[in-house]
Amino acid sequence: MRTDAVRGHLDGILLAVLEPGPLHGYAIITAVQRRSGGVLELRTGTIYPALQRLERLGLLRSHWDAVGERRRRCYALTDAGRAALTEERSAWREFTAAIGAVLDPATPGAAGGPAAGLAT
Amino acid sequence: MTAPAEAPDPVDAHVAALSGLLRGPRRLTTRMLDELRDGLTDAVAAHRRDGVPPRRAAELAVRAFGAPEELAPAFQRELTIAQARRTARSAALAVPFAAACWLLLRTAGSGAWAATSGASHALALTSGLLLGVAAAASALAGVGLALSGPLGRRLPTPARLPSMVAWAGTAAGLALAGATVALALLALLGATWPAAVAAGAVAAASHGVVASSARACRRCARLPVQPVHT
Repeated sequence: MRTDAVRGHLDGILLAVLEPGPLHGYAIITAVQRRSGGVLELRTGTIYPALQRLERLGLLRSHWDAVGERRRRCYALTDAGRAALTEERSAWREFTAAIGAVLDPATPGAAGGPAAGLAT
Repeated sequence: MTAPAEAPDPVDAHVAALSGLLRGPRRLTTRMLDELRDGLTDAVAAHRRDGVPPRRAAELAVRAFGAPEELAPAFQRELTIAQARRTARSAALAVPFAAACWLLLRTAGSGAWAATSGASHALALTSGLLLGVAAAASALAGVGLALSGPLGRRLPTPARLPSMVAWAGTAAGLALAGATVALALLALLGATWPAAVAAGAVAAASHGVVASSARACRRCARLPVQPVHT
């Protein structure tokens, strides 16, 4: 999948992979690849400024952690980050249900789903 | 005959090239580049575990992370905002400090403060007006600080925010310096030397802290940054 297609959802993706617990930068990258079955392509280096941005907004907190002989910056969700993830998930489900109902109207439940609210 | 120079390590060369493209607060720049290097080191180790030779592993890791020219705008965006926040904080701290000095000098001042005309009156008026300008500029910079913090979750951060903070900081720095110089002259007219020395020290400190941070912010704000796609 193209990097451009992922970019608009990067915040939600990063918050989601941090939901189970704190991770450092490269572990976040591999977690995204593992969860997506290798389908999502990220320009790996851009993860770091994205994490810094989420920390600045108060959605993540970070600290240096000793892993073996190396120190790594580990990131964890804040309460605001968990709330933002819940909102992202809810918005994503509404969006995919609406688009799915339009693209595939034969899908059971589509007629009474969120797409019904889109009629204008 | 000299032996051919060994090519630099791709990871070192990548981090050095990116570092050369970035401007911003030193601590955050170092932290972000250290994290990037950590990630590259992990990526190289992962390729090595798959049996890839060391140099090839480093080249593959660097390619996956993206060229320095591609990464720089995303890194620079955060560094520019961090510099803007530092400038706003320095203005927000320096203005109340200078205002406290103004009040202290006025309270402890001699007849020079009570003059209704002449140089003393003009200096007292000028220092008060310049402090007002500094306070307004500092408040504007404070808006930038708020918009680039947790409030940014609800409101988009304007692309021109760092420039706005940079120029607000510049105005605050100049007004602070002018106000405190006026205070020093006023203290001299009132023959209160310790107060004059204190006012001069405040002038130097406030101008040094706020104006240098604002100058760095202006330099950062001129560099290209990547817009946020959220």
